[in-house]
Amino acid sequence: MKRDTVIGSSLIRPDALAKVQGRAPYVADIKLEKRDCLIGRALFPPYAHAKILSINTSRAEALSGVEVVMTAKDLPGLNGYGAAALDKPVLADKIVRYQGDPVAFVAACDKKTADKAVALIEVKYEPLFPQTDPKENLKPETPLIHEDHPMSKGTNISSSWRVERGNVIAALSRSDIVLENDFETQIVDHAYLETDSCIAEPDPVTGILHLITQGHSAQLNCRSLAAAFGLPHSKVHVTIPIVGGSFGGKEDSNLEVSVMAGVLALKTGKSVFCEYTREESFRNTGKRHATHSHRKLGATKEGILTAVAADITVNKGAYRSIDPIPQRMTMYGGGVYRVPNALVEARSVFTNQVYGCACRGLGVPQAMFIIESQMDDLARRLNMDPVELRLKNILRDGDTMITGQAIKKSQGLGLEKCIQAVCERIGWDKPLEQSDDPSIRRGRGIATIMYGTGTGYPTDGAHCFLNLQMDGSLMVGIATAELGQGGIIAMTQIASEAMGIPYNMVSVNYSDNHSSPEAGATVASRSTVFHGNAIINGCNILKDRMLCCAGQILGEDPRDLDIREGIVYTRQNKERSIPLTEAIKFAFSSQVPLTTTGSWYPPLNHLDPIMGQDTRMHTYTYGAQAVEISVDIGTGIYTLDRCVSAFDVGKAINPMCVEGQIEGGVTQGIGYAMMEKFELRNAMAVTDTYHTYLIPTSMDLPKLETILVEEPNELGPFGAKGIGEPPVTAAAPAIRNALFDAIDIPFYSLPITPIDVLDAIKKKKSPVVNRQERAATKNLEK
Amino acid sequence: MARPVQFFLNDRLETVEVDENEILIDTIRERFRLCGTKEGCRTGDCGTCTVLLDGRAVRSCLILTCAVEGKHITTIEGLGNATNVHPIQQAFVDVGAVQCGFCIPGMVLTAKSLLDENHHPTEHEIRIALSGNLCRCTGYEKIIQAVQLASQRMYP
Repeated sequence: MKRDTVIGSSLIRPDALAKVQGRAPYVADIKLEKRDCLIGRALFPPYAHAKILSINTSRAEALSGVEVVMTAKDLPGLNGYGAAALDKPVLADKIVRYQGDPVAFVAACDKKTADKAVALIEVKYEPLFPQTDPKENLKPETPLIHEDHPMSKGTNISSSWRVERGNVIAALSRSDIVLENDFETQIVDHAYLETDSCIAEPDPVTGILHLITQGHSAQLNCRSLAAAFGLPHSKVHVTIPIVGGSFGGKEDSNLEVSVMAGVLALKTGKSVFCEYTREESFRNTGKRHATHSHRKLGATKEGILTAVAADITVNKGAYRSIDPIPQRMTMYGGGVYRVPNALVEARSVFTNQVYGCACRGLGVPQAMFIIESQMDDLARRLNMDPVELRLKNILRDGDTMITGQAIKKSQGLGLEKCIQAVCERIGWDKPLEQSDDPSIRRGRGIATIMYGTGTGYPTDGAHCFLNLQMDGSLMVGIATAELGQGGIIAMTQIASEAMGIPYNMVSVNYSDNHSSPEAGATVASRSTVFHGNAIINGCNILKDRMLCCAGQILGEDPRDLDIREGIVYTRQNKERSIPLTEAIKFAFSSQVPLTTTGSWYPPLNHLDPIMGQDTRMHTYTYGAQAVEISVDIGTGIYTLDRCVSAFDVGKAINPMCVEGQIEGGVTQGIGYAMMEKFELRNAMAVTDTYHTYLIPTSMDLPKLETILVEEPNELGPFGAKGIGEPPVTAAAPAIRNALFDAIDIPFYSLPITPIDVLDAIKKKKSPVVNRQERAATKNLEK
Repeated sequence: MARPVQFFLNDRLETVEVDENEILIDTIRERFRLCGTKEGCRTGDCGTCTVLLDGRAVRSCLILTCAVEGKHITTIEGLGNATNVHPIQQAFVDVGAVQCGFCIPGMVLTAKSLLDENHHPTEHEIRIALSGNLCRCTGYEKIIQAVQLASQRMYP
């Protein structure tokens, strides 16, 4: 019997048709069906740091159509919420720490009235100096951003981490070459197209508060907010319909509108809808963290890396939000290379700015920019090809990262294959064709990356509910949000294969904390592997039960039976078979349960907070990206001509979705490199529209060439590894390195805009030449 | 001041009383409850609220409802439905051009406007046509493939 499999098949995702026809409801669309919903709006301060002296809401309350006006004194529960720490006030009380701290909420019959009421609220502030420099805020004499932070007592440090291995000082002093550079990376916005929104509906019968909202985990939303509502977790029902993009942002940024809608609903006893405008979404919600790094890299004259020392400061902004950034930037401090000696230290520091949150890649785009840029500087110093230098140093089977973790081939180690694949496709060995236009310089650059699957915390694991139906279909209750990544189809394919039933018999109930178990969030590129493995585990439990029942019907040993396409058959004699439904009916009438919980967790990782020597992730996704660019040295404008990416995904469960993840992630990386920068003046947002905050359009990109490499992860479902975040991490250094190649100017901060390029060209004392011209000059000198 | 406006919405003649400053996206979403027209910015930047005005792709957040008197407005609901899928929509589904989907109705309508005028656009022409519609998920790669596929299927 030919064994058909849906694994590795580009099945059409179930949400696609509804989405192309505009029938798929997002939160704001669901609100359209709720006529009596009140509209909630917030008053935000005109300062990033200020004392609140007084608030007068009487004129707003007197306005016809206004249901309620709330300030910090009117809250039903704790005045604090958040994903990692309950440190973000529901309503600012006495102090505002950034411009997104709401001072008052209004619920009214419609948006116009609510906005009018907000404008009638009178607040007296005493402006304070906005403390925006993380380095200043580290000094002991600097005032604390939080007088009494739940996690950071007596310090402005939000979190910190260090990785130490070998003897860095000795190794650097013995190194033939030591490079030392400072790197800056900017704040960027997720720029998801659907702004933050939530409907809160109080249930008068059960006392449950139902939130129809966005997020990466219904359970996480519940946990982050319940105390602010003064409700037990069991009475906060969160459902997350399809989400219009998130990229980490709505993991907790969306809590801002959710907490507003929730407290207004509890106060009024009515349904309340809250939605940010695009400007509010830009100004208030979490961002990718800005960082400053000082890094030394040591190597022998043969190009073997000897040591890395780095000191990294992360601008946390006003609240903790999601903050493993120092941990991630240190654990990946050696990049994809063998570096025997390392000391990498990082800390994130509170400031009076918009807070940094999870943003696709979680610190790794910053880390890879630094590492991969310095690798090209080293290649230049050694007069060595950047690919040759990388191949000399990349992690191979049995090598250890700077965290001491041994990299194993059995986890899937396709790094070298990725490098070879992009080099072959782009023609790395052939000289790059230069332009006839004398103002154009062309260049080529490469970057290589790795990215772990999962959060790396010892608590990381996943669970699901499986509910087999009498007709042989299967309901999967799972805590994974459909953010656009294709989670539903991937889970469907895995369940179909594991249970042995057609994929259209699988129904995935996603993102509802009342019908799925706590299983961690849809983050850390973990869903396919963690939730996928939990589904396989659950299916195996159900399958065993059904095979026992079928064995009794058929008079066969259950160990000789299997299920394909909804048929239970005997392996030795395919003719001896019964429909799965017969076994299910037998089970049901014999009191064999048709439901189960499936679980999976990776090998336990003991964290080492002293030396950072641990085994954070059970597997890593590897990748390489090569680009070609053309620079107009008269204007500084440069274009991306080619972009070739290869990622080792272990096994692509649905290759079309995997390609989509890579193409989209690469594009965000290109935006990070070339144009995106969230700018503030006096800690107040300047770039709060899509015409001031630019993201790549179809005209900014070349054809994106994507290569899938599949080196199976022995612990992954059918060999899979995570692919959500890795693709965003390589573009910035690849483009930076291509610029270095094209115009012989190394850049050390992001983004690299045409203005930056032009400025650098103007400052350059020698003529702007590319690699081939440099080589020709060198030959002449000889 | 409210005033009556008559226009064709997905080929049906409709009359509404609207304030002079009401914008078309609000009329479409709030009054007609057609939720396929998405709001991404209200500043004319993102293109998610694209509709067809007499066949041409426009941003419904930049158009006063009063200004569409006598005109034909097509929203995504006017292009196809569950049993009658428009070839452009089918192409988007088939090549995997849909991720979060929020930009997609606007993309599909922009593609329709392009293909009506230019049956066989080059990749460059497609990029130009779609450049006013932002997408944060896909990198546009599969969206461009979808428009090419639709062109081949509709105008072989």
